[in-house]
Amino acid sequence: MHALEVKNLFKSFGDINAVKDVSFNVPEGAVFGLIGRNGAGKTTTIRMILNIYLPDKGEVIFRGNKVDSAFKDQVGYLPEERGLYKKMKVLDTIKFFAELKGKSGKEINKRANEYLERFELSDRKDSKIEDLSKGNQQKIQFISTLIHDPDFIILDEPFAGLDPINTELLKDIILENSKKGKVVIFSTHLMDFAEKMCDHIAMINNGELILSGSLKEIKTRFAQKNVSLNYEGDLSFLNGNPIIEKISDFGNTTGIRVKEADQIQKLLKLLIDNSINVKKFDANDISLHDIFVELAGSDL
Amino acid sequence: MINDKVITIIKREINAKLLSKGFIAMTILVPVFLFGILALQTYFIGIDSEDFASLIIITEDEKLSYEIQKEISENELLQKNFSFNYEVKDSIQTTELIENQKSSLIANELTGIVFISNNNLYDKKINYFSKNPTNRQLFDKLDDALNQALLNWYFTDKEISEDDLQFARSWVDIKGFRVSDKDEIEEEGIGNQVLSFLFSFLLYFSLLLLGSFMMQAVIEEKSNRIVEVLLSSATSQDLMVGKILGNALTGLLQMAIWLSPLMILISTSWFVLPKEFILSISWGNIFYFLVNYFIALTTFLGLFSCVGAMFDNPQDAQQGVFPLMLLIMIPFFMTFALQKNPDSTFATIISIAPITSLIVMPARITLVDVSLIQLVGSLFLSILFLVFVFILAGKIYRVAILSTGSKPTLAIIFKWLKAK
Repeated sequence: MHALEVKNLFKSFGDINAVKDVSFNVPEGAVFGLIGRNGAGKTTTIRMILNIYLPDKGEVIFRGNKVDSAFKDQVGYLPEERGLYKKMKVLDTIKFFAELKGKSGKEINKRANEYLERFELSDRKDSKIEDLSKGNQQKIQFISTLIHDPDFIILDEPFAGLDPINTELLKDIILENSKKGKVVIFSTHLMDFAEKMCDHIAMINNGELILSGSLKEIKTRFAQKNVSLNYEGDLSFLNGNPIIEKISDFGNTTGIRVKEADQIQKLLKLLIDNSINVKKFDANDISLHDIFVELAGSDL
Repeated sequence: MINDKVITIIKREINAKLLSKGFIAMTILVPVFLFGILALQTYFIGIDSEDFASLIIITEDEKLSYEIQKEISENELLQKNFSFNYEVKDSIQTTELIENQKSSLIANELTGIVFISNNNLYDKKINYFSKNPTNRQLFDKLDDALNQALLNWYFTDKEISEDDLQFARSWVDIKGFRVSDKDEIEEEGIGNQVLSFLFSFLLYFSLLLLGSFMMQAVIEEKSNRIVEVLLSSATSQDLMVGKILGNALTGLLQMAIWLSPLMILISTSWFVLPKEFILSISWGNIFYFLVNYFIALTTFLGLFSCVGAMFDNPQDAQQGVFPLMLLIMIPFFMTFALQKNPDSTFATIISIAPITSLIVMPARITLVDVSLIQLVGSLFLSILFLVFVFILAGKIYRVAILSTGSKPTLAIIFKWLKAK
């Protein structure tokens, strides 16, 4: 059984159709990426999942039941635009959000102190939120999202504004939760993160679902004529070559798509013949970014 | 309607407000401000009364002129602050004098010229020529002396004894005695009129102030996106009800603190008020006032939070808040009319009708004994109106709170009301 089933969601605001017939399934224990550019309809979809917006049509099923206000207690939500009460103290803030989810007492105190220690904020628990740096405020928001030990975690751009050490710490905590069997949904426009962390994805463009399923299966499906290349040299000789369909240059890495799957060996020979110093040649590999560009017809 | 989430939100609101410097400062400063205003008003009236005025009083009759001089010379206040010149002239000479004194009148060297013509002696019509011919303060001080002088002049030679004359001179003095369910019939001073004004002013002031605070808090929550986090845990109805009740309970506590001197006055004999300020007030009045205040506050906080949810910034919200301010201001001004006859049909209607009753009834109960049926009826209608406001405001709030962008039009608000 899927943890979450999103079925034919529609939502419009006046003349704007924000979400059009979006359906996807999130398996139990998945780290799920909801991917699309800004304004694609990701946040509206999440708000409908959380029952903040009522869909014009369609429904969201969580473990066999239609989502209602009781579902909110099982969710930890980190919105894209963070929001905390500036005058509240750190520990009070965390306890307030836990209590809103129906959890309070010693257990919450203990968990809050553990998280604060892990994020190196133990000495700031009596500080007011407004006295913390933006990065530290973000950590408090993240702790508040997880403090009630939710079964279902929705994170919108969780790494924005964090330094590399805290990004790593956050990633560890997310993976820990995933290992415990929690369902994690990412909403992001950064394909790199989604590719590294998610095992399932749904891609939304202009309010419509353009792709969904297991990341592995999707990549296998799209990668058959692709090569991911790291090199030194000049690739301009490939322009106009009859075996090449498309070249996407990202600086250090270049994605090359050949017209037929059996032309990959010819491509490798061409590179060596033209004195290209090949550092990595990964056949049948394609980035999520390339898949998005191919499907949406434009860059992110 | 009240669940664990609502209680959590109420607790947060109460903690945030009670411990804030703003709440503490306002609780202490409002009574200081109120008494300060009264003291300042008294002080300014005092300053005005010491304004110097110079007058010429012209009569056509010498005897009358004598009576006026006599009456004024016996009046200490007039002697202290006024200088008088007395002339006996006919109307043509008076016109000439006015013409000659025109520049002095305009330069304020001469305050005014009073002319009592023989033609108007019996109807007591007096002409006053001045740069400021509507100086009510001056007339209030002068008219009694002039009237007494005219009385003396009229009754001279009519063989009336001094006692009879004194009787004719004196005004009637009506004293009010309140007849109520109490055993005693008490003399009514001006204390209850002051209390009536105090009640209506406190309601007017705190509804406007707390309503505006509420609106700003909602706009802030909306603009810094806390609301999205909250709505991922609670419904918009929980959020709205929790915020309103939290703020209303805090407001109620604050009002109880403001009224505590009255409560001490009722329950102890620590303070003795001057006879004319003695209050006729019961615990029932205080209880009714507080219950009514809680309903009024809840109603208006609902309306103000709804307006706050509609707009992204306080500047835009001013447009939407104006009709709400009128709903508070109009009943407040109606309470002035109440002072003339608190038991008139008009007073009865406005003290029972929804919205107006919230401010008028507490003022009315200090002036007359209102029947139980009117009190209960007024509260019942107010509660019905409160339910209506909550349904309406809740429908707008749940959609508006997450809407951003351009200001909503009436058509959009109507759509929100109809939204699923």
